[in-house]
Amino acid sequence: MTMEQTRKNNGFDIEALVDDLQPVKPLIGKRGLIYPLIIAAFAIFVNTSILGLRPDLIAGKPAEMFLIRAGLLLLLGLSSAHAVISMASPSVGKQNNGWKMAAAGAFLFPLSAIIVAMTGGTAPSASVMLNGVECLIMSVIGALATAIPIIYWLRKGAPTSLERVGWLTGIASGGLGAFAYNFHCTENSIIYIGFWYGLSVGISALIGRLVVPRLIRW
Amino acid sequence: MKSNEQSLRHLMTLAQKGDKQAYGVLLEQAGIWLRRFFAQKIAPDAVDDLVQDTLISVHRKLSSYDPSRPFLPWLAAIARFRWVDKLRQTYKHEAKALDFDVAQEGHEDVVGAKISIDRLLTQLPEKQAEAIRLVKIHGHSIAETCQKTGQSESLVKVNIHRGLKKLATLIESE
Repeated sequence: MTMEQTRKNNGFDIEALVDDLQPVKPLIGKRGLIYPLIIAAFAIFVNTSILGLRPDLIAGKPAEMFLIRAGLLLLLGLSSAHAVISMASPSVGKQNNGWKMAAAGAFLFPLSAIIVAMTGGTAPSASVMLNGVECLIMSVIGALATAIPIIYWLRKGAPTSLERVGWLTGIASGGLGAFAYNFHCTENSIIYIGFWYGLSVGISALIGRLVVPRLIRW
Repeated sequence: MKSNEQSLRHLMTLAQKGDKQAYGVLLEQAGIWLRRFFAQKIAPDAVDDLVQDTLISVHRKLSSYDPSRPFLPWLAAIARFRWVDKLRQTYKHEAKALDFDVAQEGHEDVVGAKISIDRLLTQLPEKQAEAIRLVKIHGHSIAETCQKTGQSESLVKVNIHRGLKKLATLIESE
């Protein structure tokens, strides 16, 4: 096959692609993480400005449950965001499994909530549990905002597993959205955290799975 | 393969900076590499289309290549994605012998084996891989595949569906 034949095979003209070439800025994973983190920081600012900061944080003596919750949510959000951002630059043999450990860790809250509830643990009052609706709404709003730069990154990239990037975008943004709200949330009950935080990350993941694959263009 | 990887990687880095001459050479070399990569992994009459689709995807997704990483695994991931996508399409073609004229050299070393399509198919349960090979790659009908494999018609269809779904999740696996 001659070079000319190679370039114009079956009416396909490589020259057209060459003519269309524009310099591009390679997608470097670490840069992609910055924008979701900036949005998450902004979400913390909005949450605490509008709803207020937890009293224990104002006093400078954070509760143990807050620290554990914040740590797990941040770990879940960061590891999932890292995995999904990395998936924008595909490569055979690349491993992105860190998010699985973080997700397993985050699953401890709902699991603990179920165990505590089933073994006769005291649940918060119904009115306190209903306050969780605010937690759900604010966390999901934060998640949607955090998902925007991730989706923008994915659209520029070439994710090959669309379902997985959908789930991971939802889990990452859900984790970061809940992390942002967690600076206001005064509830330390494991049942409350397991139910409402689990629900907000779960709903965010489901939205991600349903919406994100439709937004990716090849 | 090593020198090929290095030269392609160098060409890609130049292409990302807008070097059209390097890009032209890169696309030609990538086209040749892809033709070998897809050989015997899809109906012969679909290879050209698949190579073209993959090159267009490479063009559209040029920025997704990270210059600090190897080039061929990136190209292979895009090629596998396009291949699975092509298998999913309900194209019909006559069953005919695969084109054995296409050379296979360059895909038999360690790197080539790790990123090959064969490697991907070996990760499926045998029944699923067999159904996909016979129907989607060799172009046999469902009825012919039932006779060859002893599977029922519905089982062949289910195996193809499940196999393709699983392949889509394995694209970046070794």
